Amino acid sequence: MDNIGLATGEIFLLCAICVILIGDLFVSENRRQMSYLLSQLTLVITLILTWVVAPETGSATAFGGSFVMDPMSKLCKSWILVVSIGVFLYSRDYINARRIMNGEYYTLALSGVLGMMIMVSSSTMLTLYLGLELLSLSLYALVALNRTDEKSSEAAMKYFVLGALASGALLYGISMIYGATGSLHFDVIAAKLGEDSSSTAAVFGLAFVVVGIAFKFGAAPFHMWVPDVYEGAPTSVTLYISSAPKIAAFAISMRFLVDGLETAHASWQGMLIILSVLSIVIGNVIALAQVSIKRMLAYSTISHVGFILMGILAGNDQGYSASMFYAITYALTSMGAFGILLAMGRAGVEINLLTDLRGLFRRNPVYAAVMMVLLVSMAGVPPTVGFYAKLAVLNAVVQADLVWLAVLAVVFSVVGAFYYLRVIKYMFFDEPAETQPVDSSLDVQVGLTINGAAMILFGVFPGLIMAACVAAFAG
Amino acid sequence: MIPLTHYLTLGAILFGLSIAGIFLNRKNVIIILMSIELMLLAVNMNFVAFSHFLGDTAGQVFVFFILTVAAAEAAIGLAILVVLFRNKGTINVADLDELQG
Amino acid sequence: MDFKLFVFWVFSLVLVGAAVGVITTRNPVQAALFLVLAFFNSAIIWMLMEAEFLAITLVLVYVGAVMVLFLFVVMMLDINTLPAREGFTRYLPVGALVVGAIIVQMVFLIRVRWFSADDYPVPTPRGADYSNTEELGRAMYTDYLFQFEVAAVILLVAIIAAIALTMRRRPETKYQRPAEQINVKKEDRLRVVSMDSES
Repeated sequence: MDNIGLATGEIFLLCAICVILIGDLFVSENRRQMSYLLSQLTLVITLILTWVVAPETGSATAFGGSFVMDPMSKLCKSWILVVSIGVFLYSRDYINARRIMNGEYYTLALSGVLGMMIMVSSSTMLTLYLGLELLSLSLYALVALNRTDEKSSEAAMKYFVLGALASGALLYGISMIYGATGSLHFDVIAAKLGEDSSSTAAVFGLAFVVVGIAFKFGAAPFHMWVPDVYEGAPTSVTLYISSAPKIAAFAISMRFLVDGLETAHASWQGMLIILSVLSIVIGNVIALAQVSIKRMLAYSTISHVGFILMGILAGNDQGYSASMFYAITYALTSMGAFGILLAMGRAGVEINLLTDLRGLFRRNPVYAAVMMVLLVSMAGVPPTVGFYAKLAVLNAVVQADLVWLAVLAVVFSVVGAFYYLRVIKYMFFDEPAETQPVDSSLDVQVGLTINGAAMILFGVFPGLIMAACVAAFAG
Repeated sequence: MIPLTHYLTLGAILFGLSIAGIFLNRKNVIIILMSIELMLLAVNMNFVAFSHFLGDTAGQVFVFFILTVAAAEAAIGLAILVVLFRNKGTINVADLDELQG
Repeated sequence: MDFKLFVFWVFSLVLVGAAVGVITTRNPVQAALFLVLAFFNSAIIWMLMEAEFLAITLVLVYVGAVMVLFLFVVMMLDINTLPAREGFTRYLPVGALVVGAIIVQMVFLIRVRWFSADDYPVPTPRGADYSNTEELGRAMYTDYLFQFEVAAVILLVAIIAAIALTMRRRPETKYQRPAEQINVKKEDRLRVVSMDSES
């Protein structure tokens, strides 16, 4: 086998999944912390292994060119793992309190992480499809895992049907690209298409691929599942769906559109402009009308996805790195916001309405401050990281001579700032409905505080992440 | 002799019918799941046809993996369906109205 | 019209008919059986394209396992089929129009613009010594080993998910405990009571 060591991280993760699955059977009900600790340990070791085996510069392939390790995949994988560590930390008390099956939960969540890593490292359409399905199947099951909850099962069913439809569209597109070029490898496809590929059958397939990716990303007009799944799923699963998979979705868009079909840029730019405009408009406007915080954050996600797509459609290295920066920092922000909801709701109460956040400042000033920083970052106000991320994307779009798009995005971001401010008002200036203080485990408190502080740190020193993002596309 | 376009047309018709099945069906979730299987069949038809006409095995290998994934997907879809039925006592599409998106 | 083309037409027409049956029938059992018919016809069309292994797999795996699973769930859930499909007829004209337009457009693009017979000539039939299964097997265990492993993980996830979602412990179910059964002593079951004999 050539270079099999490049996949050491994935191989270790898979072995650990099996160990946790079986180990969980032999542990008594009241010592279930073991699954959690083992999962965290697994993620940390996988992160280290990924760093150790990744080549210093350039890219390397393994398994006959099916698996690629390049700067982009190294960076995306690292952040997926870091975000997953945070996600597991915030979810632990929630799933313990609701008696959701621990072993199965962590096994499925880790399988999802494995799926994301495979997606990110894919260099053929087949590997990409399999990684995507591994992630999707784990997510469908996770959404339904709270088996006695009507809302969860309904959300899972909707997610499943629309997700399968998206896979179908993606596959139809893949079949057309395969038929037009005769290969499944992205580099061969790029070579076959040559200089100008705007008028080949591959573009016909490309349309279906873009629809499939937009569905998985949750971009308007294919966003129908997002609010329902965010609201219906257990909050810990919502946290999972809203964070790391966005980085993976960014990576597969890059693989398809840039690695494979960059010469058809003129064709996919138009499609992405439609998606991103609709996402930013629909996301920001409909979020204003929401009374549920989970649905509001769902529409906010849709608008952020619009920004991520905007960086990709700019079609230059600056846009790609800005988009990557956006995806990573958004995953961190969203993780923190849902983490606060989880920390507030653990006494058997589910946080769903905006009004549930009333008077959070009185109940726990630290959490209120962290949540404020996160919301301000989502709104894109300096000095938080959200501001810099938006600025970088808009800069790239202007470079690509799409000034009108940048103006539109700014206008709707200002509209969007209103609903974030409304939540901040609830937290700081309204009387709490119940007065008992919000309390949670020490490690969760530390995690959330670091998460909030990171938003400001990366906002003031964006170079900490941005330098690596730029380097990933400089080659 | 049968040209490639015959097979691709067949695939396109099946694909269109399966989309119709998913969006027009207001009655029964299980028929939607069957429409999804039909959609994957349409895609497989395309892959087999291209594989044959390009003289390349990759297409057939892809079909093999789609069949595997589709079996896994059907298992999970039906499991979710069973959970849904236990919770709601119905699988009518019109009754899935608790979450309004 | 040569024989192969005749076979293609017959089976593809039945296939499209079966597909229409799947999406229009009211009864889920009928829909499942229509889908089985569709799979059988597809298998024969794949045979025409020399994909023998996949054709057999489609029948064995799909008809043999997946469709049986579907039928099993339909029977288990005991779904009523009686209410009229008010929604279906309401959306039918619009839906049929949209879907018809999509199909016509796709077919137009496929038949007229791309994939002409000049670029994709009909390949000459393979010789009798060609083994489709052998070629696929060789590709699967060499070039596609990584994907093969990933597919195995997907199946593992499906097993975990299906069991985690549907398994429930019913408190009313009675279990046998063989270990306790064979360890039973005479004293546990039998009590000798001394009674005065009544005479």
